[in-house]
Amino acid sequence: MKLTKTKHFKAFSVPLLQENPISMQMLGICSALAVTVQLKTAIVMGLSLTFVLSFSNLTISLLRNVIPRNIRMIVELSVIASLVIIADEVLRAYFYDISKQLSVFVGLIITNCIVMGRAETYALGNPPGLSFLDGLGNGAGYGSVLISVAFIRELLGSGKLLGYQVIPNLAYEWGYENMGFMLLAPAAFIIIGLLVWLQNTLTSDG
Amino acid sequence: MSSYAKSILFALLTAVICSLLLTAGAAGLKKRQLENIAVDKKKNILRAVGVLESSTQISKQKIQEIFNQRIRSLWVAPDGQILNTTSVPEKSLPIYLYVEDQQVAAYILPINTRGLWGKIFGYLAIERDGSTVAGFTVYKHSETPGLGGEIEKEWFQKNFEGKQILDRSGDLVSVSIAKGYLPDSFPQDKLPNHVDGISGATLTGKFLSAGLKEVLLEYESVSIQFRSRQTIQIEEP
Repeated sequence: MKLTKTKHFKAFSVPLLQENPISMQMLGICSALAVTVQLKTAIVMGLSLTFVLSFSNLTISLLRNVIPRNIRMIVELSVIASLVIIADEVLRAYFYDISKQLSVFVGLIITNCIVMGRAETYALGNPPGLSFLDGLGNGAGYGSVLISVAFIRELLGSGKLLGYQVIPNLAYEWGYENMGFMLLAPAAFIIIGLLVWLQNTLTSDG
Repeated sequence: MSSYAKSILFALLTAVICSLLLTAGAAGLKKRQLENIAVDKKKNILRAVGVLESSTQISKQKIQEIFNQRIRSLWVAPDGQILNTTSVPEKSLPIYLYVEDQQVAAYILPINTRGLWGKIFGYLAIERDGSTVAGFTVYKHSETPGLGGEIEKEWFQKNFEGKQILDRSGDLVSVSIAKGYLPDSFPQDKLPNHVDGISGATLTGKFLSAGLKEVLLEYESVSIQFRSRQTIQIEEP
């Protein structure tokens, strides 16, 4: 069997594009607006969410046959919350500046509907390996949208990428100006809208 | 075992395991985090006097080095005397002096004041004339991101540079944060004592204005010395 046809590969690849959490399911938009002014924060946010999502999926899937049904949501939440706090502590220890810029948004991963959603709909009914891959795929899908949006916003908004100037000074001398609008949250909204449109056009059958 | 008992037992177990994990994580990383916080404070002190820009990427060691070279960390006794010793009288206030060519070019006051949701911590630097604001930074706060949280942003902090804490007649009025942007019709003679506020964050501005004034009043005895002497020599410890 070809690699691309296996169940495991699909668990990872389907949420990456076809069922992308942001552009197809419209989840996690709030944080996508807030942390995409710069590429650096978007990358770190994407990685943090991927970490939380894959390990919460893994843990919940491992526990799926022992969690009492009536308290399953509370258990899911405590697992997710613990992972988020660990991610936040690690960022504070090793990437202090970025963690300051992300401020509350790392903590708010707890309320990100993607994490809880995958735990409920996928991890509770699938084996650990698949659930972990599903978490990785969803995290990567979320992260890739964040990174695309941040790439456009940082490039057009401040003429930089990852903090380094990429638009040459010459361009500014000739009258080029940074697009201040890109630094505001509505810009992310519009870019996400355009991405959704693009993806729908490319993948639609008709 | 009844299903209730099982649920309760499971919940308890989850709670214990999660809290153990978190405790281990927090304890293990604490040293590094505290170190980061200490360096961040020093960075903000340097930013307040304009030695560092907020956007510059700089290593921890470099910050330490510049800090040790340029900043003297001292105490102000209740009578206003600046002390260079380690044993200080009670109720002394911390102060940082920014040294350029063996002379004090500015002094930096720690800000620790009430905000809307929690405390606001930062630094206010005053030039050696005892009246002109050299810079203002915030390194810790709990204000709402996007609203009151804008106090940590450069555009807001830059507004303080060059403002006066004295009014025309020489009385201490501090620098007040306006409600929203200062209108064009704002009286010219009051302009040096006001900065643009943040729309949607009037209360944060109000608390911060009050806090700045309170700190300046506390340190007024030091400011008076700077105003009268202009230059203060400090001996190397």
